[in-house]
Amino acid sequence: MNRKTILLIDDNPDFVELARRAFGKADVPASLVVAEDGAEALDYLFATGTWADRGPEGNPVLVLLDLKLPRIGGLEVLRQLRADPRTRILPVVILTTSVEEQDVIRAYELGCNSYIRKPIDFIQFAEVVKTLGLYWLVLNQPPLTGGNQ
Amino acid sequence: MTTFPLDAQSSLQSGVFEDNARALLNILEDFTEEKSRLEDTQRAILNMLEDFSGDKAYFEETQRAILNILDDFTGEKHRLEESQRAMLNILEDFDVERTKADIANRDLRDAFDSLRRAKEAADAANSELEAFSYSVSHDLRAPLQSIDGFSLALLEDYENLLDDRGNDYLRRVRNATQRMAQLIDDLLKLSRLTRGELNLATVDLSATARALAAELRKSQPERQVSFHITDGLTATGDPNLLKVVLDNLLANAWKFTGKKEVAIIEFSAVEVNGQAAYFVRDNGAGFDMTFADKLFATFQRLHLDREFQGTGIGLSLVQRVIRRHGGEVWAEGRVGEGASFYFTLDSPPTRTEP
Repeated sequence: MNRKTILLIDDNPDFVELARRAFGKADVPASLVVAEDGAEALDYLFATGTWADRGPEGNPVLVLLDLKLPRIGGLEVLRQLRADPRTRILPVVILTTSVEEQDVIRAYELGCNSYIRKPIDFIQFAEVVKTLGLYWLVLNQPPLTGGNQ
Repeated sequence: MTTFPLDAQSSLQSGVFEDNARALLNILEDFTEEKSRLEDTQRAILNMLEDFSGDKAYFEETQRAILNILDDFTGEKHRLEESQRAMLNILEDFDVERTKADIANRDLRDAFDSLRRAKEAADAANSELEAFSYSVSHDLRAPLQSIDGFSLALLEDYENLLDDRGNDYLRRVRNATQRMAQLIDDLLKLSRLTRGELNLATVDLSATARALAAELRKSQPERQVSFHITDGLTATGDPNLLKVVLDNLLANAWKFTGKKEVAIIEFSAVEVNGQAAYFVRDNGAGFDMTFADKLFATFQRLHLDREFQGTGIGLSLVQRVIRRHGGEVWAEGRVGEGASFYFTLDSPPTRTEP
């Protein structure tokens, strides 16, 4: 059985490592693909640039998106994602350190599915990852088309 | 020469006389007529003269009247001149006044300009503060997350490679991380409270206090704490911000009664200067009134951290919220005998900024 893909977009290698650890501990039935900035994330999502060769089996079932990213920011990634029919209904969870009101509102306005603040406590973070995996990959029923491409 | 008979001559002579007499009579008659005509004329002239004298009197009167009018005109003219002079004075005064007004206007414009500049500076400072708190929120938390995450990873994966002391050090690292995270969150809250509008509503303070008390009980179910919350205390204010106030005051009371066998925490109100002063009172550690003014300063603490933990931000938050509501906050206490924190609220419906 093909493992599902979760696309994690975050430029902090520490966070990426901790996220891998948390996903590993939580037994989330998915493999993690990491994009370190918004431009790379868009390349992956639309299979362009450095990701032109990836096959459709790599289409993510869930995007975890940080807001503060080099080159193309998280909100812009979200906007482009929602503007494209291939990714319009792809579940996007904002996973960021900022809980500034305007960020939260803007992200929801642009059509994110959920907004989560990265907890500093790793134990809490592991809980969050477990819940996320359970909710979006097991409990949540996506549309039959899968939502992209 | 023609000769006539004498008789004829004499009769002729008598005829001439008669003619002469008739002529004379005629003349006399004419004279009489003439005389009566002259008399008529004279009468007419006399009449005219009489009329003239009447006219003259009339003219004289008219003249007098005209003179009077001229007199009046002269008076009027004087008055007009006076009025004119007065007007000129007024105009001069106006001129002076206008110059003054111009100066005042310029001053006002200057003041307005400097206000505008001050506002621009304040706006710039505000947006800088926003950028600052954004970067605090984002950039200071991320490294903490790494410290906590990898300390825990070490504890989990390499516990048996470390001796007890090594494990203890790692736990201290994690504790410090949590404290710093709390500090950052509190600082953010503090900066956020100075921004944004107040959303005024009627707040049931009693119900809020009871809900917060229930949360505190749940956090440490083993503690014996008796809450006395007066019913029906309501106030006009921002519900979220007033919750922050009660949350901090009740959590403080909870914290500082931590070493009491039987803790008593009270929420009620008294009247101070005709105004409701709400208070949270406890029988906890209390404080020395000498330092009462330091209680509300940011980062100021009156207790050692190993006795009572805290970031020194809570009461400063309370003070900010109360001041934004146009109220006052103050405290009374004695070391070892507890503390009372009072606050008033006075927020007319339109008030948004302190």
